[in-house]
Amino acid sequence: MLSKNELQTLLSLGLETGADFSEIFLEDTYNGRISVNNGDVIAVSSGNTYGIGVRLLKGIDEVYGYSNDTSYASIEKLMLTLRGSFNSEPFKAKPLGEKLPFVNNIKIPYDALTAKEKSQTLIELSNMIKDHDSKIIQAGATLIEWEQKVLIANSNGIYQDDVRTYTRTALTAVAQDGALLQDAYEAPGRNMGFEIFEAVDFKALAKEVAESVMTYLYADNMEPQEMPVVIHNGFGGVIFHEAVGHPLETSAVSKGLSPFAGKLGEKVASDVVTAYDDGDEDGQWGRTTFDDEGKKTQKNLLIEKGILKGYLSDYRSGKRMNYESTGSGRRQNYKYPPTARMNTTYIENGTDEFEDIIKDTKYGLFAKKLGGGTVNPATGEYNFAVMEGYMIEDGKLTKPVRGAMLIGHGAETIKLIDRVANNKTYGQGMCGAASGSIPTDVGQPTIRVSKMLVGGQGGKK
Amino acid sequence: MFKKWIEIGLQKGFTDVEIFSSRSKSLSIEVYQGKVENLTTSDVEKAKIRAVYDEKLVTYVLEDLSTKAVDAAFELLKQNAEALTVKEPAIIFEGSPTYPVVKENTFDFDAVPITDKIAYLVDLEKNILANEFVKQVDGANYSESYGETTLINSKGLNLTKKHNFSYAYAIGIFEKNGDIKTGYDVKLVKSFDEYDAQADGQKTIENGLSKLDGKSIKTKKYETVFSNKKFGEMLSVFSGLFSGEAAYRKLTALKDKKGEKIAVDGFNLWDDPLNELAPFQNSFDDEGVASNPKKVIDNGVFTGFLHSLKTAKLFNETPTGNAFGGGISPAGLYLAPGEKDFDTLIQDIKEGFYVTDLVGLHAGVNSTNGNFSLQAGGVLIKDGQLDHPVKMVVLSGNWFDLLLNIKAIGSDLKFDVSGIGSPSVHVGELMVSGEEK
Repeated sequence: MLSKNELQTLLSLGLETGADFSEIFLEDTYNGRISVNNGDVIAVSSGNTYGIGVRLLKGIDEVYGYSNDTSYASIEKLMLTLRGSFNSEPFKAKPLGEKLPFVNNIKIPYDALTAKEKSQTLIELSNMIKDHDSKIIQAGATLIEWEQKVLIANSNGIYQDDVRTYTRTALTAVAQDGALLQDAYEAPGRNMGFEIFEAVDFKALAKEVAESVMTYLYADNMEPQEMPVVIHNGFGGVIFHEAVGHPLETSAVSKGLSPFAGKLGEKVASDVVTAYDDGDEDGQWGRTTFDDEGKKTQKNLLIEKGILKGYLSDYRSGKRMNYESTGSGRRQNYKYPPTARMNTTYIENGTDEFEDIIKDTKYGLFAKKLGGGTVNPATGEYNFAVMEGYMIEDGKLTKPVRGAMLIGHGAETIKLIDRVANNKTYGQGMCGAASGSIPTDVGQPTIRVSKMLVGGQGGKK
Repeated sequence: MFKKWIEIGLQKGFTDVEIFSSRSKSLSIEVYQGKVENLTTSDVEKAKIRAVYDEKLVTYVLEDLSTKAVDAAFELLKQNAEALTVKEPAIIFEGSPTYPVVKENTFDFDAVPITDKIAYLVDLEKNILANEFVKQVDGANYSESYGETTLINSKGLNLTKKHNFSYAYAIGIFEKNGDIKTGYDVKLVKSFDEYDAQADGQKTIENGLSKLDGKSIKTKKYETVFSNKKFGEMLSVFSGLFSGEAAYRKLTALKDKKGEKIAVDGFNLWDDPLNELAPFQNSFDDEGVASNPKKVIDNGVFTGFLHSLKTAKLFNETPTGNAFGGGISPAGLYLAPGEKDFDTLIQDIKEGFYVTDLVGLHAGVNSTNGNFSLQAGGVLIKDGQLDHPVKMVVLSGNWFDLLLNIKAIGSDLKFDVSGIGSPSVHVGELMVSGEEK
């Protein structure tokens, strides 16, 4: 590992041809995965992600280089190559400051238990799913864990390390009856070690996954139509993440590529919507103490009672539009320059009771669990698969439906949110964008959108 | 260095050790509003250890290539092997009798001055911006990648292959009457002089313009035709159905369908890693098995699964050279073309939907049961002619039903940059969700 003095020398070297910002990002990450299927441990794999990323900026012009050779000579060579892009008066680096403490209260780190010890818990969960019904042909429990150690130093005097520990377990089930096949899954993750199994009730989830797969094995296909949609809490927040969160990142806003560009202080959502992105919520999957530019993370207000209050910014995108970094500069690893990204994004609790929202809906779809989806930030067009859906008829949940797909425009949809419940929970995912795939939480209470286009195959299964 | 690693592993009690390593270098440039906004260079060497301990196969991927890290990796691999409870074939391969020779691309992108690469992007952006409906260009991007992959193992196998290519694209933001759409076209080349800022910009413009002014259409079933590119994407997203691993885990609806009819007559699906029409060719897979062309679906009949060393052994079949990235995937999938050109393909359709845009394929597709529901766009077909653009509808159906209901396969076979090839295909009726009935 390089000394502080060596880093200081290298950062200064990068500024000698006119760059006004230099940065070195060092990473050493352990990755592990244990896969259990039908009670058997079928695969165990490990690995490391290890290297350096070097960045120079002049204004918003960026040059970046990365390598898994972390020697002084390698970084020096990279600095000299990168600074060749600039040709003006030298700039002076600030002296590196002191490291600030980071929070990493891990009770059971990844190396405290062997793969064999960890696999016992997974085997138990896999068996629970398998034993639920003889029609369940595959019952999976997969542990995914990684610990990322980073050191960030830049010419603005930042000298900061951070350790991020991630543990996630995916429970999956596949059921078959003749030609009918159906799958279901749950995959909670936390900024924790193996103690995640104390924090999350995985046994209850295993039961839920098994029940869900059996319910949808025999469900009818969604009949396509426009209708009110009640989107449940937790992972339902993914629509807000995709359709509103991404367009609020300054990487899109600063280029005018967002429907929310230039709308600070304006009404962009219905009155019942207040939303945050929190970089530092304890134990959350999307949490880091410092962002990948070494800036302390914080809780950022995005929308308050329908009024747009803030964007999410990294250092460079912020520079383009004169917007302070919100501690949101993130990257998957040293192979990406950072950009503005979300951490834990959610719609705040409202005042409605969940039961009342269902009761007050004469006809509609209850999207209990959403799957994946995409959004085009430039157009705001999004699509989301409904993993578990029920019809609402006369204020009651009636039959399960499968294959429903929600599509729409984000900026229009948030104006149509007419009910917000008080039962906020979170769901975890990996969010992919320009700076790679990073852990994020989405969250919300149950909400109702007064009208959405719901696609589907129609007809019996 | 890697021979030393193999020795370390054998000394530590592993029966067989294999190192699959890659060294890759890349350059990428992004131009925005006429100047370079980002330039990224990289040089990364990584190695994957595959090792057999107590008849169990375990893997470790390293980017920290220090002896200390390798030593620790082998110790952890032993622990990991002890956790495995299934007895599945653990094979390190001694090699195929012969390997096909693949022509290597010798063009040196690094020798092209960086100023030429920047000049191309500046021109590309300018040419796209010249169109009256282009509001702006969200970056013009150029990337080049050079790499060498080596596989050596304790059974004496020692194989090397190289890759070398470049690609470029620009994302145009198009606007007409308040309707905003994005258009782009990725160009993949083997030599720098294939770039043409005028022609490449024109393709991006055509892509964007084709989406503008779209309308929704009424919810009902339509005779549906997929463009060659979009049918290729569907083939790709459902290609996991052919995996021997999925068959072994009973995760594919094709599991008992070998030798059965799963598509219409005349449907011939190849997996040909050596096809010269495809952008890449491959002489061996990640386990060192020689590549070879084979038909996956022959005149509608499913011929069998794609295999790794492990799944071939489990099914008592021959490995097919399809082990990639720790799983099984096709190496050069393409649908053989039919007779009809595009105009003939649509001429008898009274009212139909020509699909040119599909969004969110990872989310809206259930590869277990074949159901799909996808955000789509395209063009309405009226009385055998293309009518107005269609936007923001959901296209739904079932892949297995679709394969058996195909009405015609076009003659316009085209390979995508991903390596998948397909002609346009008239698939019969599918449900389109749009405006009220």
